[in-house]
Amino acid sequence: MDMGSPSLDFAEFYRGAKDDCLFAVLVSVGDQDTAQDLVAEAFARAWASWSSVSRHPAPAAWVVRTALNAGVSRWRRRRREVPVPDLALVADWPAAGETADGSVDPRIMAALLRLPARQRQVVALRLFLDLDTECTARVLGIAPGTVQAHLGRAIAALRGDLVPTRQEESQS
Amino acid sequence: MIDDELITVLREQRGKVVMTTPVEQIINRGHAVRNRHRVHGVVAAAGAAAAAVVVTVSVALPASRPAGSHPAASHLPAGHPANLPSARLTAWTVTRLAGGSIRVTFREAADAAGLQRTLRADGVPVSVTFTGQQNPACQPYSAGTSQAFWPFGPSTGPLGGARFIANPKDAYTTPYALVIDPSALPSGAGLQISTSGTPGPSDSFQLDVSLVQASAQCTGG
Repeated sequence: MDMGSPSLDFAEFYRGAKDDCLFAVLVSVGDQDTAQDLVAEAFARAWASWSSVSRHPAPAAWVVRTALNAGVSRWRRRRREVPVPDLALVADWPAAGETADGSVDPRIMAALLRLPARQRQVVALRLFLDLDTECTARVLGIAPGTVQAHLGRAIAALRGDLVPTRQEESQS
Repeated sequence: MIDDELITVLREQRGKVVMTTPVEQIINRGHAVRNRHRVHGVVAAAGAAAAAVVVTVSVALPASRPAGSHPAASHLPAGHPANLPSARLTAWTVTRLAGGSIRVTFREAADAAGLQRTLRADGVPVSVTFTGQQNPACQPYSAGTSQAFWPFGPSTGPLGGARFIANPKDAYTTPYALVIDPSALPSGAGLQISTSGTPGPSDSFQLDVSLVQASAQCTGG
């Protein structure tokens, strides 16, 4: 790869993938500021290793995975200092009016955050990055069948969480 | 609401969150990351000399090697690296497993030339670089199989003869380990091992493995 102008291809990749990567990480970490920091760091690392990352079959997945790993490391460094809430116990995310642009449905985000971490990661990669089952399995280091099982359970949980609410809305 | 509708509703949400960081800021940060990698490389090179001393000690004290960890040793000539149950370095350890597979355990991204030499002596056509750059002589094995993996999860599937194994207790802790089965490599293929960052407490380490076309310039004769 021509290392003389790596930023051109990278800039195109960044523009096309940044929002999807941010949302995928947001679903996993639950906080938009944290997600934005992690994704920015992951994209910076992607730029620094662009000669190899650009050859990855799913560079966006690389960014998301790197961001999530950075999040794990950051959490480990800070956990002695700051209590970290269990995202699975989040009741509402975030309260109305707290979103950066006010447009993400807080009930949907809260339902996503109630999923176990692995299910959230599978949802993020399969549904929000549009990776296929095989690629998702490789990125997460799990078997394809496990990806399908996690996705099935996640969809079932989200259906149970969201459908009654939406049906009530439509009846009222 | 059926599942397809639910998935559609979920996917509609992703366009509602916008990454506002300018690409110029990302690239500036990328420069800092790259410079940090270079510093790690210099430090690692300085540590390679110390690693060589450890090798010498290990060879001189065969009784300290774990018994039975290198079952193929008796079939190989004296002095062949495979005769050593394990070549112990501070940076990495190469161990031959039952069945001919070879495990590389990484502790530090250092002495790439030594690791490349050891693996080639054990029959693995391989190019190893720890500089953040790949060997320019290496060409992807084919468009469909040139893939890279990182030891992020508890395990990953086979990659044309290579598979990662994970720390059984915590996939995110070092040492990382890579198991290679040379006999399972596709005909004419070799491996390219490169890294970004440094394994250990740093969260920047990434291990890249890809299938490449075997050649004298890339994976050795």
